[in-house]
Amino acid sequence: MALLSGTRLTDRIDRLLPHEEAFRSALRGPDVASRVGLWLGLCFLVALLTGVYSHFAQQASTAIPLPGRPVSLYRVTQTLHIAAGTAAVPLLLVKMWAVNPKLFARPPRQRRAVVLHVLERLSIAALVASTIFQLATGLANAAQWYPWAFGFRETHYAVGWVAVGALLVHVAVKLPIIRDALAQRQPPAQPGGVTRRSLLLATWLAAGVAVLATAAAGVPGVRRISVLAVRSGDGPGGVPINRSAVAAGVSALATDPGFALSVVAPGRVVRLNRADLEALPQTSAELPIACVEGWSASGIWSGVRVRDLLALVGAPARTAVVVRSLQPRGAWRESRLPAEVAADPLTLLALDLGGEPLSLDHGYPCRIIAPNRPGVLQTKWVSRLEVQA
Amino acid sequence: MTGHVAMVTTRVVLGAAGLAAAAYGTGTLLDLGAGNLLATLPWLLGGVVAHDAVLAPLIVLAGLLAAARLPGWAKGAAAAALVVLGTVTLAAFPALGRFGARPDNPTLLDRPYAAGWVALAALVLMAAGTAALATRRRGGEHRG
Repeated sequence: MALLSGTRLTDRIDRLLPHEEAFRSALRGPDVASRVGLWLGLCFLVALLTGVYSHFAQQASTAIPLPGRPVSLYRVTQTLHIAAGTAAVPLLLVKMWAVNPKLFARPPRQRRAVVLHVLERLSIAALVASTIFQLATGLANAAQWYPWAFGFRETHYAVGWVAVGALLVHVAVKLPIIRDALAQRQPPAQPGGVTRRSLLLATWLAAGVAVLATAAAGVPGVRRISVLAVRSGDGPGGVPINRSAVAAGVSALATDPGFALSVVAPGRVVRLNRADLEALPQTSAELPIACVEGWSASGIWSGVRVRDLLALVGAPARTAVVVRSLQPRGAWRESRLPAEVAADPLTLLALDLGGEPLSLDHGYPCRIIAPNRPGVLQTKWVSRLEVQA
Repeated sequence: MTGHVAMVTTRVVLGAAGLAAAAYGTGTLLDLGAGNLLATLPWLLGGVVAHDAVLAPLIVLAGLLAAARLPGWAKGAAAAALVVLGTVTLAAFPALGRFGARPDNPTLLDRPYAAGWVALAALVLMAAGTAALATRRRGGEHRG
């Protein structure tokens, strides 16, 4: 860039673009950027930890088995994940507003300084691109809107690491500036301007309102004021539906009077229709259904313990089980219950929800409900339980 | 001196951890295949362009207009109202547009979003108006 300086083209571009000094608000600068950035960084950390947890919770098998207690752990982490991302929207916008004049800073003249300048610009470009990407795709996914062709879960996971990495590099570069800015006391108000205090107050307020109005719908009691939430929380049996029977293409198969569940062990098969399942000892449990999209609801489920079904085919309670759904297609038509999940007394093949038979959209004739599992693994319309040899 | 050493050490550790995390993320992204990457790139670039070329200039314009037209006592409240309402609207955009709504799932995107937004906007504007009037009554700390 230094080599090009002085050509007519760069001069013309230079005249067209505003200079860094042209932005007059004294609030644009490290003073506000550091304070908002601190909270934005905290949102990044919460989103990273809960996101990585969710990513591994959705794997068919993990190196470390995830705990079944507390039963609402995934519900809490996933609500936090969406809340952190939602709160980050106002924080990011104010943060970028505060540093926007830097976008128009001209590259330095010395060649060594130019290299450093370009490297820093690249790290900022990666940070801004990956952060906006994470927030935009995450919020769209929470509203079940997929206007893209990439795989959401894997891509959101990968770009999340890029965002956190670029943020750490950014903090490393700016650390002395951040330290000095955070030590600054409230500057005297500019005549006719907005004070730092009122801008920061508006920013914290915006983050709080955004979370309350949209993402807090999973928190009992807050739901009513979440006027912009993706789900009101209503649904058959008091639980919303993620994927309907129509969308899954199972309506005819699930209502077929000839339906029978197969419980399969090496050399043994037991077939049970819905009446047979209802005649087995029933267990009730209050368990949440918590979806990766961030919504959750608690329900009272009753049905047959999976370990009781395993006993029917002579399998030990602590055996891994593959659960297959009637769904003809889709990535989630099959799930795996690790041995400790299958043995859990709260892992049910549910027949009822809220005292009524399961609705077709909730997985009639029978579905899996287990403690502390992402919703996508709570397989609906179960047709087969197969003991893993 | 120890303060200086601590600062340098912290920066080196943060920088190295950041490069490692970014390298892992980039590697994971590349492993998802060329097709996935080609579908991802426009979204990565699109966000930057949408902010730097559309949103940021619009906010500069709003700032210039407010500076020229609004009395001093109203500026703080107007800025606060814009920050709260603007960012919350953006965060709720996918729900407000009901882009993911499906006829076979009545439990999804099932709130009256326009009414909810109007109620929220009314609340924010009322609070901002009250704050602005209070500033004026106090004699306008920042007359300008």
